Amino acid sequence: MNPSTTKPMSYAAVAVAVILAVLLPWFAPNQFYIHLATVGCINLMLVLGLAIIARAGQLSMGHGGFALVGGYVSALLSMKGWPPLLTLFIAGLTAAVIAAALGWIILRLRGVYFVLVAFAFSQIAVLLALDMSSITGGANGLVGVPPISIFGYVLRAKPQFYPFALVCALATLLLTWLLYRSPLGTMMAATAENQRLTESSGIDTHRVQVIAFTIGSGIAGFAGALSTHYLRFISPDSYTFWESVSYLTMLVVGGRDGVLGPVVGVLVLTPLPELLRSTEGLQHIIYGTMLVLCLMFVPNGLASLVQTWRSRQRVARTTTAVVAEEVT
Amino acid sequence: MSMDFILAQTVVNGLMVGMIYVLMAIGFTMVFGIMRIVNFAHGEFYMIGAFLFAILYGSNGMPFAVSVLLAIGATALLGLLMERVVFRRFRGNELNGMIASVGVALILQNSALLLWGSSARTVPPVVSGVLSVGGIVFPWSRLVVIIGAIVAVVSLNLLIGHTRIGRAMRAVAQDSEIAQVQGIRVDVIFPAAFVLGVSLAAFAGVLMAPVLSVSPFIGLAPTLKAFVIVVIGGLGSVPGAVVGGLLIGLIESFAGTFVSASLSEILQFLVVIGVVLLRPQGLLGRKEREA
Repeated sequence: MNPSTTKPMSYAAVAVAVILAVLLPWFAPNQFYIHLATVGCINLMLVLGLAIIARAGQLSMGHGGFALVGGYVSALLSMKGWPPLLTLFIAGLTAAVIAAALGWIILRLRGVYFVLVAFAFSQIAVLLALDMSSITGGANGLVGVPPISIFGYVLRAKPQFYPFALVCALATLLLTWLLYRSPLGTMMAATAENQRLTESSGIDTHRVQVIAFTIGSGIAGFAGALSTHYLRFISPDSYTFWESVSYLTMLVVGGRDGVLGPVVGVLVLTPLPELLRSTEGLQHIIYGTMLVLCLMFVPNGLASLVQTWRSRQRVARTTTAVVAEEVT
Repeated sequence: MSMDFILAQTVVNGLMVGMIYVLMAIGFTMVFGIMRIVNFAHGEFYMIGAFLFAILYGSNGMPFAVSVLLAIGATALLGLLMERVVFRRFRGNELNGMIASVGVALILQNSALLLWGSSARTVPPVVSGVLSVGGIVFPWSRLVVIIGAIVAVVSLNLLIGHTRIGRAMRAVAQDSEIAQVQGIRVDVIFPAAFVLGVSLAAFAGVLMAPVLSVSPFIGLAPTLKAFVIVVIGGLGSVPGAVVGGLLIGLIESFAGTFVSASLSEILQFLVVIGVVLLRPQGLLGRKEREA
């Protein structure tokens, strides 16, 4: 028995999951499930963005702020007649540029300061959206954002939008996975592990963290824009501090280490608000409790349970193999 | 209305808001300095203090002093419970402690929402009338907030500077291991510092309740302000919190009166960025010692 037999197993699991996700519109009992899956795809992108930043050892409490910026940029440009397919990317780029500038200034500081300033930034984004009402529509937000159209095919209804959201989410997932395996990904992980040691190996950790923050926030901008074209609406309330907190909760509950964690976190926590819609406050209490309990008892997230189980199996298998060898 | 009047009003408002921020920021920075925990739930204790005071004093008509003491005492007990159950486990683990505090903030805010509803409550003024100095009038309701906050800051300063427990707290903030070696009971100092920080937040809430209205959502804004102030003043620095708090209060009041409220927020953010660029340790903070 070879430990590497788990590899094809996990590829098969990924394939099955993707096929299930693709086939969802056919076996979903009603449109609501498709809506939920679409929200899940958008959440997954946001959480992956946060995970990339966390991979480099930082925590962004302003993640929603970048989604808000992306949403407004794409909404405003597309309402001026630009094709939404293009404005989605402009939105991501705008968020990334802001993140790069902000990150370059604040990431030179210790972690805590970064968190505080990123948090303050997201509040400023909300205030600007409220205040510049001649452009942003103030508290009422922007209504009637054009739908996305691909070569004349308009993604207006839920079953049409879902495949596009799924493609975007899977692309982000693949991108994150590739990033983690690239030299840059290794540098990010090393920076998170021990910044000074990494620095002394000749790696510019400040640059690594700025790049991670830029990529993660750019994804948030793109996802915010995607959500805006799906709901056809954006307002300053679309991405408040508590949205940033819910992405953080998904990341922590799922797990911060690989790409599996965000997937698990999104799958567990996206349906929750819908199930508990009748009691507004209770949903947040459950979120908060899960966050605290996870940090106490499963600090590496639910996905780490899978990994522990797998490595245990591996150990068990190798020991049986060794014992078998010794016997023969 | 004369210009003098508006100016005086603006200064009083700025000082009042500023002193509330000072109370918030001191508690926040103390908890960070001693426990190394960035407490995102700090403002929720402010909210709970304000709510308890509104219920005891406003709705049930209990005597003022009793209401104040009960509101602060109950919030402090809640703080102690949170320290025991949650924060104690994350001491020194900055990242996870911070995330856990976000969870606590979610739980506290939404428990208040379930318990007391989302509608805003008003509390009857504790004092009325005005103080007239040279033709300029100051409402007592606001002066009381300023005076109350000054009393709290001065007594806290005496506590930290001139008592045994204060000295122990300073020692733990500098180096908890060495402090422990010197025979300081760190297990007592941590919860004591946390409860003290929470009590300051609750007191700020009590002071503000008669001036503003009370709802479960009022905690986030002062938390944000406390963050901004400690970045400006220097994380862990109490004098920095005082200077930063008054600065932010006055910026807010002046920009809010003469330009617009959201411009003042943007201005504060720019001050933060400026401080971070030019003086990363904060105006009165010391350079972070590399561990």
